[in-house]
Amino acid sequence: MTTAAIKPLKKAQKQTQKVQRPRNVLIVGVGGQGVIMVSKVLATLCQKQGFEVKQSEVHGMAKRGGAVFSHVRFGETVYSPTIPEGEADVLLALEWAEGMRWMPYLRQQSGTFIADTQHIVPPFACRNRTRGAQSGYVSETIETVMSHVDNSFAMDAMGIAEQLGVVKAANTVLLGALSTALDFDPEAWKSVISMFVPEKTIETNIRAFDAGRDWALGFDRESELRNLTDTHSLQQEGLAEVKVDRSIVEITEEWCKSCDICVKFCPERCLVLNDKLIVEMAEPERCTGCRMCEWLCPDFAIAVRTPDQISQ
Amino acid sequence: MLNKTKAAFEIRDYIREDLFPHFMCPGCGHGIAMRALLWAIHDLNIDKDKLAIVSGIGCSGRVGAYIDANTFHTTHGRPLTFATGLKLARPDLQVIVITGDGDCLAIGGNHLIHACRRNLDITCLMLNNETYGMTGGQVSPTTTRDRYTTTTPEGNYEPVFDACELAQGAGAGFVGREITLQTPSLKSLIQQGIAHPGFSFLEVISDCTEVYGRKNDLGESPQMVLSQKSEFRSDSYGMIADEVFQPRNVKTGVLHKSDRPEYAEAYQQRITDRVKK
Repeated sequence: MTTAAIKPLKKAQKQTQKVQRPRNVLIVGVGGQGVIMVSKVLATLCQKQGFEVKQSEVHGMAKRGGAVFSHVRFGETVYSPTIPEGEADVLLALEWAEGMRWMPYLRQQSGTFIADTQHIVPPFACRNRTRGAQSGYVSETIETVMSHVDNSFAMDAMGIAEQLGVVKAANTVLLGALSTALDFDPEAWKSVISMFVPEKTIETNIRAFDAGRDWALGFDRESELRNLTDTHSLQQEGLAEVKVDRSIVEITEEWCKSCDICVKFCPERCLVLNDKLIVEMAEPERCTGCRMCEWLCPDFAIAVRTPDQISQ
Repeated sequence: MLNKTKAAFEIRDYIREDLFPHFMCPGCGHGIAMRALLWAIHDLNIDKDKLAIVSGIGCSGRVGAYIDANTFHTTHGRPLTFATGLKLARPDLQVIVITGDGDCLAIGGNHLIHACRRNLDITCLMLNNETYGMTGGQVSPTTTRDRYTTTTPEGNYEPVFDACELAQGAGAGFVGREITLQTPSLKSLIQQGIAHPGFSFLEVISDCTEVYGRKNDLGESPQMVLSQKSEFRSDSYGMIADEVFQPRNVKTGVLHKSDRPEYAEAYQQRITDRVKK
């Protein structure tokens, strides 16, 4: 009895091995960029092509500019709705740092990485608000990623969309690039896109899609990498010359009436009242030039000069 | 909002520096309101020779004297009346009225409603500090209930006047309210008010720290300015439970906007029609 029960199970295992494994596409970005729209288009397209599709997404923090991601899996049969680590065939990142965050999910060697080079710096990456201070944003450059991932496309989708006159279509530009990584007919893509975008913008979105697709088809990784190395070394030379410059807070002592507003409202707590009860800059290195003191001084005793103004 | 090609706002280009430091008490909100007004004027590129500031009597009336433009210090409660004549005679001038809560609502209340009714292209900036600060802190129409003043030793028990509702009801084209704590928002509100063709009534929530604040134990000037944040709410928060915003619970932002015909233009049209006949 036992052997008989095991036999069909083994058969079934063999059969599933024969069936093509599902394709995994992971789409990531920041709230408001259109991650969900991209994944909806892809899921609908796959469904129309007769595949079984499973899609799961997290967009809870979307309204606050938080991380949004969407797993799309399609194939003959799909069981789990989520993609395990290291098994995404395509990782489509609408923002650079989000792409870096989800990098471990990309399948090694055969995985395709498509990313917008746009940087959206989250607030917690700017803990030190002094001008020229180190930011907590990811330090991986396009160059590093491209030299490590074979199938990588780092595109300026925002720039392409801007050239077309619609910044909002940046996600459609990326869809165009994504279409080169999956073998579906471009016309089928376009018909699905026109289902999901507002009627007025169908034409511009189709143009954006074509622009993205053309860009990806004409992308030459080797020459791009060479270009990047050149510009990177140039930038490094320039970096040595850039100085950390600060705002200057000018205080007219005769006008100060020691009302204490600037001292209490300064977010960096760098102003104090001295022995004569006149406001004084105690810690100029902490000043970020936010102008709070200037705006709230009822006696016009404070003027903030930002580095741009000083250089003028 | 700041145009990059334009020179940055420098307050000293717009004030009479020889009169400084000004007479207002330490921490008085009128100074902040004055900065916002001058900032708005700078951003709108208004020529100082084409700018007329009309002010009444009181602490707010003195604000006008420090502005380097055509200024006109008028009688108590009548800045709007003088401004009406000025605007009708010289429609090319940009007329801005600076008035206080007592000046505008109590002594000049009648003039306010008729200025709103005519809908002349004047911007009326009412600096509301809830008291008559210059004369020693008497009760004014906007004094909050149960607050002490020289004339209400047992606490004020008169209902409070909502000046914005009044202006809207009387027909002002543009009505707005903002707190001095939000200086950039205040600036943009004043900017919109000046740009609006028609009568713009703007209530600026200011603080009287030395007289009113001291009598009511409202804290030092920073505390008074900060308390505006909890007592006033931006219009965009409209539907949030009201209990949170007690005790004053007043809306800020642009409260009303309409396209009623502007009076100075209609008046000129009428005159030209008469002459043609």
